[in-house]
Amino acid sequence: MSAPALSARGLARHYGGVAALRGVDLDLAPGEIRGLIGPNGAGKSTLVDVLSGRAPGSAGSVRLFGQDITGLGPAARRHAGLARSFQRTSIFPALPVGAQLELAARRVGATDAPRLLEELDLARLAAVPAQETAYGDQRRLDLALALVGPPRVLLLDEPAAGLTAEESLALADRLRELARARGVTVLLVEHDMEVVFRICERITVLELGAILAEGTPQEIRRHPEVVRAYLGSAAA
Amino acid sequence: MSGAGRIGAGALAAAAAGPAIAALVPPGVLLSLLVQACIYAILALSVGVLARQNGMVSFGHAAMFGAGAYLAGIGLGAPGQLPAEVALLLAVLAVTAVCFGLGLIVVRVHGIAFAMLTLALGQACFEAANKARGVTGGADGLTVALPREIFGLPAATFQRAEGMFLIAWLAMVALAALAALLARSRFGLLTEAIRENEERARFLGYGTVLPRAAVFALSGGIAAAGGVLYVLYNGFVSPETVHWSVSGSALIMALLGGTRTAWGPLAGAAVYFLLREQLVEVTERWLGLLGILLVLVMVFLPDGLSGLPRRLRRPRGAEA
Ligand SMILES: Nc1ncnc2c1ncn2[C@@H]1O[C@H](COP(=O)(O)OP(=O)(O)OP(=O)(O)O)[C@@H](O)[C@H]1O
Ligand SMILES: [Mg+2]
Repeated sequence: MSAPALSARGLARHYGGVAALRGVDLDLAPGEIRGLIGPNGAGKSTLVDVLSGRAPGSAGSVRLFGQDITGLGPAARRHAGLARSFQRTSIFPALPVGAQLELAARRVGATDAPRLLEELDLARLAAVPAQETAYGDQRRLDLALALVGPPRVLLLDEPAAGLTAEESLALADRLRELARARGVTVLLVEHDMEVVFRICERITVLELGAILAEGTPQEIRRHPEVVRAYLGSAAA
Repeated sequence: MSGAGRIGAGALAAAAAGPAIAALVPPGVLLSLLVQACIYAILALSVGVLARQNGMVSFGHAAMFGAGAYLAGIGLGAPGQLPAEVALLLAVLAVTAVCFGLGLIVVRVHGIAFAMLTLALGQACFEAANKARGVTGGADGLTVALPREIFGLPAATFQRAEGMFLIAWLAMVALAALAALLARSRFGLLTEAIRENEERARFLGYGTVLPRAAVFALSGGIAAAGGVLYVLYNGFVSPETVHWSVSGSALIMALLGGTRTAWGPLAGAAVYFLLREQLVEVTERWLGLLGILLVLVMVFLPDGLSGLPRRLRRPRGAEA
Protein backbone atom coordinates (compact mmCIF):
# COMPACT_ATOMS: atom_id res chain seq x y z
CA MET A 1 0.00 0.00 0.00
CA SER A 2 1.25 3.49 -0.81
CA ALA A 3 2.01 5.97 1.97
CA PRO A 4 -0.92 8.00 3.31
CA ALA A 5 -1.12 11.55 1.94
CA LEU A 6 -1.00 12.86 5.47
CA SER A 7 -0.24 10.84 8.54
CA ALA A 8 -0.13 12.01 12.14
CA ARG A 9 0.93 9.95 15.14
CA GLY A 10 0.42 10.80 18.79
CA LEU A 11 -0.09 14.55 18.33
CA ALA A 12 -0.42 16.43 21.61
CA ARG A 13 -0.63 20.10 22.52
CA HIS A 14 -1.32 21.95 25.75
CA TYR A 15 -2.37 25.52 26.45
CA GLY A 16 -1.22 26.07 30.00
CA GLY A 17 -3.08 23.38 31.90
CA VAL A 18 -5.55 22.70 29.09
CA ALA A 19 -4.79 19.66 26.95
CA ALA A 20 -6.14 20.74 23.56
CA LEU A 21 -4.87 17.59 21.83
CA ARG A 22 -4.14 14.34 23.63
CA GLY A 23 -2.46 11.84 21.33
CA VAL A 24 -4.23 12.14 18.01
CA ASP A 25 -3.53 9.64 15.18
CA LEU A 26 -4.79 10.46 11.71
CA ASP A 27 -4.28 8.97 8.24
CA LEU A 28 -5.62 10.58 5.08
CA ALA A 29 -5.64 8.46 1.91
CA PRO A 30 -4.42 10.21 -1.23
CA GLY A 31 -7.28 12.03 -2.92
CA GLU A 32 -9.82 11.64 -0.14
CA ILE A 33 -11.92 14.42 1.31
CA ARG A 34 -12.00 13.86 5.06
CA GLY A 35 -14.39 15.63 7.36
CA LEU A 36 -13.26 16.66 10.84
CA ILE A 37 -16.08 17.47 13.22
CA GLY A 38 -16.49 17.93 16.94
CA PRO A 39 -18.05 20.30 19.45
CA ASN A 40 -16.69 23.80 20.12
CA GLY A 41 -13.32 23.61 21.77
CA ALA A 42 -12.78 19.98 20.76
CA GLY A 43 -9.37 20.84 19.37
CA LYS A 44 -10.11 20.89 15.62
CA SER A 45 -8.32 24.17 14.96
CA THR A 46 -5.48 23.13 17.23
CA LEU A 47 -5.07 19.95 15.20
CA VAL A 48 -4.95 21.96 11.97
CA ASP A 49 -2.45 24.34 13.59
CA VAL A 50 -0.14 21.52 14.60
CA LEU A 51 -0.46 19.76 11.24
CA SER A 52 0.28 22.98 9.35
CA GLY A 53 3.19 24.09 11.54
CA ARG A 54 1.43 27.12 13.01
CA ALA A 55 1.77 25.78 16.52
CA PRO A 56 4.32 23.25 17.68
CA GLY A 57 3.01 20.03 19.07
CA SER A 58 4.38 18.92 22.44
CA ALA A 59 4.52 15.35 21.16
CA GLY A 60 3.94 13.35 18.03
CA SER A 61 4.96 13.38 14.37
CA VAL A 62 3.52 14.40 11.02
CA ARG A 63 4.33 12.82 7.65
CA LEU A 64 3.39 14.05 4.20
CA PHE A 65 3.43 11.22 1.65
CA GLY A 66 5.93 9.48 3.87
CA GLN A 67 8.20 12.50 4.34
CA ASP A 68 8.65 13.53 7.96
CA ILE A 69 7.67 17.21 8.17
CA THR A 70 7.38 17.42 11.96
CA GLY A 71 10.25 19.86 12.36
CA LEU A 72 9.36 22.11 9.42
CA GLY A 73 7.89 25.62 9.64
CA PRO A 74 4.80 26.74 7.73
CA ALA A 75 6.71 28.00 4.67
CA ALA A 76 8.68 24.77 4.31
CA ARG A 77 5.50 22.73 4.70
CA ARG A 78 3.89 24.76 1.92
CA HIS A 79 6.82 23.91 -0.32
CA ALA A 80 6.46 20.26 0.61
CA GLY A 81 2.87 20.49 -0.65
CA LEU A 82 0.80 21.18 2.47
CA ALA A 83 -1.46 24.26 2.43
CA ARG A 84 -4.18 25.56 4.73
CA SER A 85 -6.92 28.12 5.11
CA PHE A 86 -8.05 29.83 8.31
CA GLN A 87 -11.18 29.81 10.45
CA ARG A 88 -10.87 33.58 10.87
CA THR A 89 -10.37 35.01 7.38
CA SER A 90 -6.68 35.54 6.80
CA ILE A 91 -5.98 37.57 3.67
CA PHE A 92 -4.08 40.75 2.73
CA PRO A 93 -6.73 43.45 3.20
CA ALA A 94 -5.16 46.33 1.24
CA LEU A 95 -3.94 44.29 -1.73
CA PRO A 96 -5.96 43.60 -4.88
CA VAL A 97 -7.49 40.13 -5.03
CA GLY A 98 -5.67 39.17 -8.24
CA ALA A 99 -2.28 40.28 -6.94
CA GLN A 100 -2.70 38.14 -3.83
CA LEU A 101 -3.35 35.06 -5.88
CA GLU A 102 -0.43 35.82 -8.16
CA LEU A 103 1.80 36.13 -5.12
CA ALA A 104 0.60 32.78 -3.80
CA ALA A 105 1.01 31.11 -7.20
CA ARG A 106 4.46 32.52 -7.92
CA ARG A 107 5.99 31.04 -4.82
CA VAL A 108 5.04 27.50 -5.70
CA GLY A 109 5.55 27.92 -9.44
CA ALA A 110 1.83 27.53 -10.15
CA THR A 111 0.10 28.70 -13.32
CA ASP A 112 -3.48 28.10 -12.31
CA ALA A 113 -4.17 31.45 -10.59
CA PRO A 114 -6.25 32.97 -13.42
CA ARG A 115 -8.32 29.81 -13.76
CA LEU A 116 -8.86 29.54 -10.04
CA LEU A 117 -10.04 33.15 -9.95
CA GLU A 118 -12.67 32.24 -12.53
CA GLU A 119 -13.65 29.04 -10.79
CA LEU A 120 -14.13 30.73 -7.44
CA ASP A 121 -15.98 33.66 -8.99
CA LEU A 122 -13.29 36.15 -8.04
CA ALA A 123 -12.09 37.19 -11.51
CA ARG A 124 -14.40 40.20 -11.60
CA LEU A 125 -12.76 41.39 -8.35
CA ALA A 126 -9.15 40.87 -9.48
CA ALA A 127 -8.28 44.58 -9.32
CA VAL A 128 -10.25 45.35 -6.15
CA PRO A 129 -8.50 45.57 -2.75
CA ALA A 130 -9.71 42.62 -0.69
CA GLN A 131 -10.97 44.84 2.12
CA GLU A 132 -13.50 46.38 -0.28
CA THR A 133 -15.04 43.04 -1.23
CA ALA A 134 -17.95 41.24 0.41
CA TYR A 135 -17.39 38.81 3.28
CA GLY A 136 -18.26 35.82 1.11
CA ASP A 137 -15.70 36.92 -1.48
CA GLN A 138 -13.06 37.17 1.23
CA ARG A 139 -13.82 33.63 2.37
CA ARG A 140 -13.39 32.33 -1.18
CA LEU A 141 -10.17 34.33 -1.51
CA ASP A 142 -8.85 32.70 1.67
CA LEU A 143 -9.69 29.33 0.10
CA ALA A 144 -8.14 30.29 -3.24
CA LEU A 145 -4.86 31.31 -1.58
CA ALA A 146 -4.60 27.81 -0.14
CA LEU A 147 -5.81 25.96 -3.22
CA VAL A 148 -3.59 27.62 -5.81
CA GLY A 149 -0.82 25.34 -6.98
CA PRO A 150 -2.48 23.01 -6.27
CA PRO A 151 -0.98 21.69 -3.03
CA ARG A 152 -0.93 17.95 -2.45
CA VAL A 153 -2.80 18.18 0.85
CA LEU A 154 -5.16 20.95 1.87
CA LEU A 155 -6.28 21.67 5.44
CA LEU A 156 -9.43 23.78 5.55
CA ASP A 157 -10.56 25.20 8.90
CA GLU A 158 -14.24 25.96 8.50
CA PRO A 159 -14.00 27.55 5.04
CA ALA A 160 -17.72 28.33 5.19
CA ALA A 161 -17.62 30.01 8.63
CA GLY A 162 -20.05 32.90 8.70
CA LEU A 163 -21.76 32.04 5.43
CA THR A 164 -25.46 31.26 5.13
CA ALA A 165 -26.53 27.60 4.88
CA GLU A 166 -27.17 28.07 1.19
CA GLU A 167 -23.80 29.68 0.56
CA SER A 168 -22.09 26.95 2.56
CA LEU A 169 -23.58 24.20 0.42
CA ALA A 170 -22.67 26.03 -2.78
CA LEU A 171 -19.11 26.51 -1.56
CA ALA A 172 -18.89 22.86 -0.51
CA ASP A 173 -19.97 21.66 -3.96
CA ARG A 174 -17.45 23.95 -5.61
CA LEU A 175 -14.77 22.74 -3.26
CA ARG A 176 -15.48 19.10 -4.02
CA GLU A 177 -15.27 19.76 -7.77
CA LEU A 178 -12.01 21.68 -7.45
CA ALA A 179 -10.38 19.15 -5.16
CA ARG A 180 -11.44 16.16 -7.29
CA ALA A 181 -10.30 17.78 -10.53
CA ARG A 182 -6.90 18.50 -9.00
CA GLY A 183 -6.50 15.30 -7.04
CA VAL A 184 -6.00 17.22 -3.82
CA THR A 185 -6.35 15.44 -0.50
CA VAL A 186 -8.52 17.53 1.84
CA LEU A 187 -9.04 17.69 5.58
CA LEU A 188 -12.20 19.72 6.05
CA VAL A 189 -13.12 21.12 9.46
CA GLU A 190 -16.77 22.02 9.34
CA HIS A 191 -19.59 22.77 11.73
CA ASP A 192 -22.36 22.28 9.22
CA MET A 193 -23.19 18.55 9.31
CA GLU A 194 -25.11 18.77 6.08
CA VAL A 195 -22.00 20.02 4.30
CA VAL A 196 -19.79 17.33 5.82
CA PHE A 197 -22.16 14.46 5.03
CA ARG A 198 -22.54 15.78 1.51
CA ILE A 199 -18.94 15.97 0.36
CA CYS A 200 -16.80 13.81 2.68
CA GLU A 201 -16.08 10.14 2.08
CA ARG A 202 -14.93 9.64 5.64
CA ILE A 203 -15.40 11.60 8.82
CA THR A 204 -13.28 11.88 11.96
CA VAL A 205 -14.91 13.03 15.18
CA LEU A 206 -12.82 14.85 17.76
CA GLU A 207 -13.89 15.42 21.35
CA LEU A 208 -11.83 16.91 24.18
CA GLY A 209 -8.68 16.62 22.11
CA ALA A 210 -9.04 12.93 21.33
CA ILE A 211 -10.57 10.97 18.48
CA LEU A 212 -14.00 9.73 19.41
CA ALA A 213 -14.92 8.00 16.18
CA GLU A 214 -13.97 7.61 12.55
CA GLY A 215 -15.94 6.18 9.63
CA THR A 216 -18.15 6.71 6.65
CA PRO A 217 -20.97 9.28 6.92
CA GLN A 218 -23.45 6.43 7.49
CA GLU A 219 -21.38 4.97 10.32
CA ILE A 220 -20.90 8.35 11.95
CA ARG A 221 -24.58 9.21 11.76
CA ARG A 222 -25.42 6.02 13.64
CA HIS A 223 -22.59 6.23 16.17
CA PRO A 224 -24.31 6.63 19.55
CA GLU A 225 -21.47 8.50 21.26
CA VAL A 226 -21.17 10.92 18.35
CA VAL A 227 -24.84 11.65 18.49
CA ARG A 228 -24.51 12.29 22.23
CA ALA A 229 -21.34 14.41 22.11
CA TYR A 230 -21.91 16.34 18.94
CA LEU A 231 -25.63 16.94 18.91
CA GLY A 232 -25.47 17.73 22.60
CA SER A 233 -23.19 20.69 22.11
CA ALA A 234 -24.50 21.73 18.71
CA ALA A 235 -27.86 22.26 20.32
CA ALA A 236 -26.34 24.50 22.99
CA MET B 1 0.90 54.04 -20.04
CA SER B 2 2.28 51.29 -17.83
CA GLY B 3 2.93 51.97 -14.17
CA ALA B 4 6.69 51.96 -14.63
CA GLY B 5 6.31 54.26 -17.62
CA ARG B 6 4.24 56.68 -15.56
CA ILE B 7 6.86 56.70 -12.82
CA GLY B 8 9.59 57.35 -15.37
CA ALA B 9 7.66 60.18 -16.99
CA GLY B 10 6.83 61.68 -13.60
CA ALA B 11 10.44 61.49 -12.53
CA LEU B 12 11.64 63.16 -15.74
CA ALA B 13 9.11 65.96 -15.33
CA ALA B 14 10.09 66.41 -11.69
CA ALA B 15 13.77 66.40 -12.61
CA ALA B 16 13.14 69.07 -15.22
CA ALA B 17 11.37 71.20 -12.64
CA GLY B 18 14.64 71.44 -10.69
CA PRO B 19 16.45 73.89 -12.99
CA ALA B 20 13.22 75.87 -13.36
CA ILE B 21 12.96 76.35 -9.61
CA ALA B 22 16.65 77.20 -9.42
CA ALA B 23 16.13 79.85 -12.11
CA LEU B 24 13.12 81.35 -10.34
CA VAL B 25 14.51 81.46 -6.82
CA PRO B 26 17.42 83.89 -6.43
CA PRO B 27 20.38 82.63 -4.40
CA GLY B 28 19.77 83.52 -0.80
CA VAL B 29 18.00 82.38 2.31
CA LEU B 30 15.09 80.81 0.50
CA LEU B 31 17.27 78.75 -1.83
CA SER B 32 19.43 77.44 1.00
CA LEU B 33 16.23 76.59 2.83
CA LEU B 34 15.17 74.61 -0.23
CA VAL B 35 18.49 72.77 -0.20
CA GLN B 36 17.92 71.73 3.41
CA ALA B 37 14.35 70.77 2.52
CA CYS B 38 15.55 68.48 -0.28
CA ILE B 39 18.12 66.83 1.97
CA TYR B 40 15.64 66.25 4.78
CA ALA B 41 13.05 65.15 2.21
CA ILE B 42 15.41 62.27 1.42
CA LEU B 43 15.44 61.38 5.11
CA ALA B 44 11.64 61.60 5.20
CA LEU B 45 11.50 59.41 2.10
CA SER B 46 13.55 56.75 3.87
CA VAL B 47 11.14 56.80 6.81
CA GLY B 48 8.25 56.58 4.34
CA VAL B 49 9.72 53.57 2.52
CA LEU B 50 9.97 51.70 5.80
CA ALA B 51 6.41 52.61 6.75
CA ARG B 52 4.97 51.73 3.39
CA GLN B 53 6.78 48.48 2.65
CA ASN B 54 7.22 47.18 6.17
CA GLY B 55 4.46 48.98 8.07
CA MET B 56 7.05 50.08 10.61
CA VAL B 57 7.33 53.48 12.27
CA SER B 58 10.90 54.53 13.03
CA PHE B 59 11.93 57.06 15.65
CA GLY B 60 15.59 56.52 14.95
CA HIS B 61 16.34 57.31 11.33
CA ALA B 62 18.53 60.27 12.20
CA ALA B 63 21.05 57.61 13.20
CA MET B 64 21.33 56.33 9.63
CA PHE B 65 21.32 59.86 8.27
CA GLY B 66 24.02 60.90 10.73
CA ALA B 67 26.02 57.72 10.17
CA GLY B 68 26.07 58.48 6.44
CA ALA B 69 27.23 62.03 7.17
CA TYR B 70 29.92 60.99 9.67
CA LEU B 71 31.25 58.13 7.55
CA ALA B 72 31.42 60.35 4.47
CA GLY B 73 33.09 63.08 6.52
CA ILE B 74 35.62 60.69 8.01
CA GLY B 75 36.28 59.14 4.59
CA LEU B 76 36.83 62.53 3.00
CA GLY B 77 39.04 63.61 5.89
CA ALA B 78 41.33 60.60 5.75
CA PRO B 79 44.11 62.10 3.67
CA GLY B 80 45.13 60.55 0.38
CA GLN B 81 43.65 57.13 0.95
CA LEU B 82 40.39 56.86 -0.92
CA PRO B 83 39.12 58.79 -3.90
CA ALA B 84 36.32 61.03 -2.59
CA GLU B 85 33.70 59.37 -4.80
CA VAL B 86 34.57 55.96 -3.36
CA ALA B 87 34.45 57.31 0.19
CA LEU B 88 30.95 58.71 -0.35
CA LEU B 89 29.71 55.52 -1.95
CA LEU B 90 31.24 53.41 0.80
CA ALA B 91 29.50 55.51 3.44
CA VAL B 92 26.12 54.69 1.91
CA LEU B 93 26.97 51.03 1.36
CA ALA B 94 28.32 50.59 4.89
CA VAL B 95 25.16 51.99 6.45
CA THR B 96 23.05 49.82 4.15
CA ALA B 97 25.00 46.71 5.10
CA VAL B 98 24.85 47.42 8.83
CA CYS B 99 21.12 48.08 8.56
CA PHE B 100 20.65 44.75 6.82
CA GLY B 101 22.38 42.92 9.65
CA LEU B 102 20.51 44.93 12.24
CA GLY B 103 17.30 44.42 10.28
CA LEU B 104 17.55 40.65 10.61
CA ILE B 105 17.05 41.21 14.32
CA VAL B 106 14.89 44.29 14.73
CA VAL B 107 12.21 43.45 12.14
CA ARG B 108 11.07 40.67 14.44
CA VAL B 109 9.88 43.35 16.83
CA HIS B 110 6.54 44.90 15.99
CA GLY B 111 4.45 48.02 16.57
CA ILE B 112 5.22 50.30 19.49
CA ALA B 113 8.04 48.07 20.67
CA PHE B 114 9.78 48.58 17.33
CA ALA B 115 9.32 52.36 17.56
CA MET B 116 10.82 52.32 21.07
CA LEU B 117 13.68 50.11 19.91
CA THR B 118 14.56 52.52 17.09
CA LEU B 119 14.38 55.41 19.51
CA ALA B 120 16.79 53.65 21.86
CA LEU B 121 19.18 52.65 19.09
CA GLY B 122 19.06 56.18 17.71
CA GLN B 123 19.93 57.67 21.08
CA ALA B 124 22.71 55.14 21.50
CA CYS B 125 24.17 56.46 18.24
CA PHE B 126 23.77 60.02 19.53
CA GLU B 127 25.71 59.08 22.66
CA ALA B 128 28.36 57.34 20.59
CA ALA B 129 28.76 60.43 18.37
CA ASN B 130 29.23 62.50 21.52
CA LYS B 131 31.63 60.14 23.27
CA ALA B 132 33.88 58.93 20.45
CA ARG B 133 35.78 62.21 20.35
CA GLY B 134 38.74 60.74 18.53
CA VAL B 135 36.65 59.77 15.53
CA THR B 136 33.68 62.13 15.55
CA GLY B 137 35.09 65.21 17.25
CA GLY B 138 32.58 64.70 20.05
CA ALA B 139 30.20 67.53 20.86
CA ASP B 140 32.28 69.97 18.82
CA GLY B 141 31.43 68.05 15.70
CA LEU B 142 33.46 67.14 12.68
CA THR B 143 34.56 69.76 10.19
CA VAL B 144 35.10 68.33 6.75
CA ALA B 145 37.22 69.89 4.04
CA LEU B 146 36.11 68.77 0.58
CA PRO B 147 38.71 67.82 -2.02
CA ARG B 148 38.98 70.15 -5.00
CA GLU B 149 36.77 68.04 -7.19
CA ILE B 150 34.11 65.42 -6.58
CA PHE B 151 32.46 63.55 -9.46
CA GLY B 152 34.17 66.05 -11.75
CA LEU B 153 32.47 69.02 -10.11
CA PRO B 154 34.37 71.68 -8.18
CA ALA B 155 33.89 71.45 -4.41
CA ALA B 156 32.31 74.91 -4.34
CA THR B 157 29.37 73.57 -6.37
CA PHE B 158 28.44 71.35 -3.43
CA GLN B 159 28.70 74.07 -0.86
CA ARG B 160 26.79 76.81 -2.62
CA ALA B 161 23.02 76.72 -2.62
CA GLU B 162 22.77 77.26 -6.40
CA GLY B 163 24.83 74.17 -7.11
CA MET B 164 23.69 71.97 -4.27
CA PHE B 165 20.03 72.66 -4.87
CA LEU B 166 20.19 70.96 -8.26
CA ILE B 167 22.24 68.06 -6.95
CA ALA B 168 19.99 67.47 -3.95
CA TRP B 169 16.86 67.93 -6.04
CA LEU B 170 17.97 65.37 -8.63
CA ALA B 171 19.08 62.93 -5.95
CA MET B 172 15.75 63.32 -4.21
CA VAL B 173 13.77 62.73 -7.42
CA ALA B 174 15.91 59.73 -8.38
CA LEU B 175 15.56 58.11 -4.95
CA ALA B 176 11.80 58.72 -4.88
CA ALA B 177 11.49 57.17 -8.35
CA LEU B 178 13.49 54.21 -7.10
CA ALA B 179 11.16 53.85 -4.12
CA ALA B 180 8.11 54.06 -6.41
CA LEU B 181 9.51 51.41 -8.75
CA LEU B 182 10.31 49.20 -5.79
CA ALA B 183 6.75 49.46 -4.53
CA ARG B 184 5.46 48.33 -7.92
CA SER B 185 7.89 45.44 -8.25
CA ARG B 186 7.30 41.82 -7.29
CA PHE B 187 9.48 42.38 -4.27
CA GLY B 188 7.38 45.42 -3.35
CA LEU B 189 4.20 43.38 -3.58
CA LEU B 190 5.69 40.69 -1.37
CA THR B 191 6.77 43.14 1.30
CA GLU B 192 3.37 44.82 1.28
CA ALA B 193 1.74 41.42 1.68
CA ILE B 194 4.02 40.71 4.64
CA ARG B 195 3.12 44.11 6.06
CA GLU B 196 -0.57 43.27 5.72
CA ASN B 197 -0.45 39.75 7.10
CA GLU B 198 2.92 38.25 7.90
CA GLU B 199 1.53 34.94 9.09
CA ARG B 200 -0.43 34.28 5.92
CA ALA B 201 2.62 35.15 3.83
CA ARG B 202 4.51 32.41 5.66
CA PHE B 203 1.71 29.96 4.94
CA LEU B 204 2.02 30.84 1.25
CA GLY B 205 5.59 29.60 1.48
CA TYR B 206 7.45 32.87 1.94
CA GLY B 207 10.21 33.58 4.37
CA THR B 208 9.35 36.96 5.87
CA VAL B 209 12.44 38.09 7.77
CA LEU B 210 14.82 38.52 4.80
CA PRO B 211 12.47 40.71 2.75
CA ARG B 212 11.73 42.89 5.77
CA ALA B 213 15.42 43.19 6.58
CA ALA B 214 16.10 44.13 2.94
CA VAL B 215 13.56 46.94 3.16
CA PHE B 216 15.11 48.11 6.42
CA ALA B 217 18.52 48.13 4.72
CA LEU B 218 17.24 50.03 1.71
CA SER B 219 15.56 52.55 3.95
CA GLY B 220 18.80 52.98 5.90
CA GLY B 221 20.74 53.42 2.67
CA ILE B 222 18.41 56.18 1.48
CA ALA B 223 18.74 57.96 4.82
CA ALA B 224 22.53 57.64 4.59
CA ALA B 225 22.51 59.15 1.08
CA GLY B 226 20.70 62.15 2.57
CA GLY B 227 23.38 62.35 5.26
CA VAL B 228 26.14 62.30 2.64
CA LEU B 229 24.54 65.27 0.86
CA TYR B 230 24.19 66.98 4.23
CA VAL B 231 27.87 66.77 5.01
CA LEU B 232 28.87 67.78 1.49
CA TYR B 233 26.74 70.91 1.72
CA ASN B 234 27.52 71.94 5.26
CA GLY B 235 31.09 70.68 5.48
CA PHE B 236 30.26 69.86 9.05
CA VAL B 237 28.42 67.27 11.10
CA SER B 238 27.76 67.15 14.84
CA PRO B 239 25.80 64.93 17.23
CA GLU B 240 22.83 67.29 16.81
CA THR B 241 22.33 65.68 13.39
CA VAL B 242 21.82 62.32 15.07
CA HIS B 243 19.51 63.62 17.80
CA TRP B 244 16.12 61.95 18.15
CA SER B 245 14.39 65.26 17.39
CA VAL B 246 15.74 64.98 13.84
CA SER B 247 14.19 61.52 13.60
CA GLY B 248 10.99 63.00 14.95
CA SER B 249 10.96 65.77 12.37
CA ALA B 250 11.51 63.27 9.56
CA LEU B 251 8.63 61.21 10.85
CA ILE B 252 6.41 64.30 10.99
CA MET B 253 7.31 65.11 7.38
CA ALA B 254 6.57 61.57 6.26
CA LEU B 255 3.21 61.44 8.06
CA LEU B 256 2.25 64.94 6.98
CA GLY B 257 2.88 64.07 3.35
CA GLY B 258 1.62 60.51 3.65
CA THR B 259 3.48 57.27 3.09
CA ARG B 260 1.19 55.61 0.55
CA THR B 261 3.12 57.24 -2.26
CA ALA B 262 6.84 57.86 -2.66
CA TRP B 263 6.30 61.58 -3.25
CA GLY B 264 4.19 62.01 -0.10
CA PRO B 265 7.15 62.42 2.30
CA LEU B 266 8.76 64.85 -0.15
CA ALA B 267 5.64 67.00 -0.13
CA GLY B 268 5.61 66.69 3.65
CA ALA B 269 9.18 67.96 3.85
CA ALA B 270 8.35 70.93 1.60
CA VAL B 271 5.34 71.87 3.71
CA TYR B 272 7.31 71.39 6.92
CA PHE B 273 10.17 73.68 5.90
CA LEU B 274 8.12 76.40 4.22
CA LEU B 275 5.60 76.47 7.02
CA ARG B 276 8.28 76.48 9.70
CA GLU B 277 9.89 79.42 7.97
CA GLN B 278 6.61 81.35 8.12
CA LEU B 279 5.67 80.27 11.64
CA VAL B 280 9.06 81.09 13.15
CA GLU B 281 8.46 84.70 12.17
CA VAL B 282 5.15 84.74 13.99
CA THR B 283 5.70 82.71 17.14
CA GLU B 284 8.26 80.77 19.09
CA ARG B 285 5.70 78.04 19.46
CA TRP B 286 5.93 77.04 15.81
CA LEU B 287 6.50 73.42 16.70
CA GLY B 288 3.22 73.36 18.61
CA LEU B 289 1.36 74.81 15.65
CA LEU B 290 2.98 72.27 13.39
CA GLY B 291 1.87 69.56 15.81
CA ILE B 292 -1.70 70.79 15.61
CA LEU B 293 -1.50 70.74 11.82
CA LEU B 294 -0.22 67.18 11.95
CA VAL B 295 -3.10 66.14 14.19
CA LEU B 296 -5.61 67.74 11.81
CA VAL B 297 -4.05 66.01 8.82
CA MET B 298 -4.02 62.66 10.62
CA VAL B 299 -7.68 63.02 11.56
CA PHE B 300 -9.05 64.31 8.27
CA LEU B 301 -6.50 62.87 5.83
CA PRO B 302 -5.15 59.65 7.32
CA ASP B 303 -3.17 59.09 4.13
CA GLY B 304 -1.53 62.49 4.51
CA LEU B 305 -1.45 65.33 2.01
CA SER B 306 -0.63 62.92 -0.80
CA GLY B 307 -3.95 61.21 -0.11
CA LEU B 308 -5.74 64.41 -1.03
CA PRO B 309 -5.98 63.93 -4.83
CA ARG B 310 -7.33 60.43 -4.35
CA ARG B 311 -9.79 61.66 -1.76
CA LEU B 312 -11.00 64.40 -4.11
CA ARG B 313 -11.39 61.98 -7.01
CA ARG B 314 -13.19 59.36 -4.99
CA PRO B 315 -15.10 60.89 -2.13
CA ARG B 316 -15.78 58.74 0.92
CA GLY B 317 -18.13 55.85 0.29
CA ALA B 318 -17.72 56.03 -3.48
CA GLU B 319 -14.97 53.43 -3.52
CA ALA B 320 -14.99 51.17 -6.57
N1 LIG C 1 -4.37 30.36 21.99
C1 LIG C 1 -4.97 29.63 22.95
N2 LIG C 1 -4.69 29.86 24.24
C2 LIG C 1 -5.26 29.14 25.21
N3 LIG C 1 -6.15 28.17 24.98
C3 LIG C 1 -6.48 27.89 23.71
C4 LIG C 1 -5.92 28.61 22.63
N4 LIG C 1 -6.44 28.13 21.48
C5 LIG C 1 -7.28 27.15 21.83
N5 LIG C 1 -7.32 27.00 23.15
C6 LIG C 1 -8.10 26.00 23.88
O1 LIG C 1 -7.83 24.75 23.30
C7 LIG C 1 -9.02 23.99 23.17
C8 LIG C 1 -9.23 23.63 21.71
O2 LIG C 1 -9.50 24.80 20.95
P1 LIG C 1 -9.70 24.78 19.39
O3 LIG C 1 -9.75 26.18 18.92
O4 LIG C 1 -8.69 23.90 18.77
O5 LIG C 1 -11.13 24.11 19.24
P2 LIG C 1 -12.04 23.95 17.96
O6 LIG C 1 -12.46 22.53 17.92
O7 LIG C 1 -11.39 24.49 16.76
O8 LIG C 1 -13.29 24.85 18.34
P3 LIG C 1 -14.28 25.71 17.42
O9 LIG C 1 -15.29 24.77 16.91
O10 LIG C 1 -14.87 26.69 18.37
O11 LIG C 1 -13.47 26.35 16.36
C9 LIG C 1 -10.14 24.85 23.75
O12 LIG C 1 -10.32 24.46 25.08
C10 LIG C 1 -9.59 26.24 23.69
O13 LIG C 1 -10.12 27.03 24.73
MG1 LIG D 1 -11.79 26.01 15.44
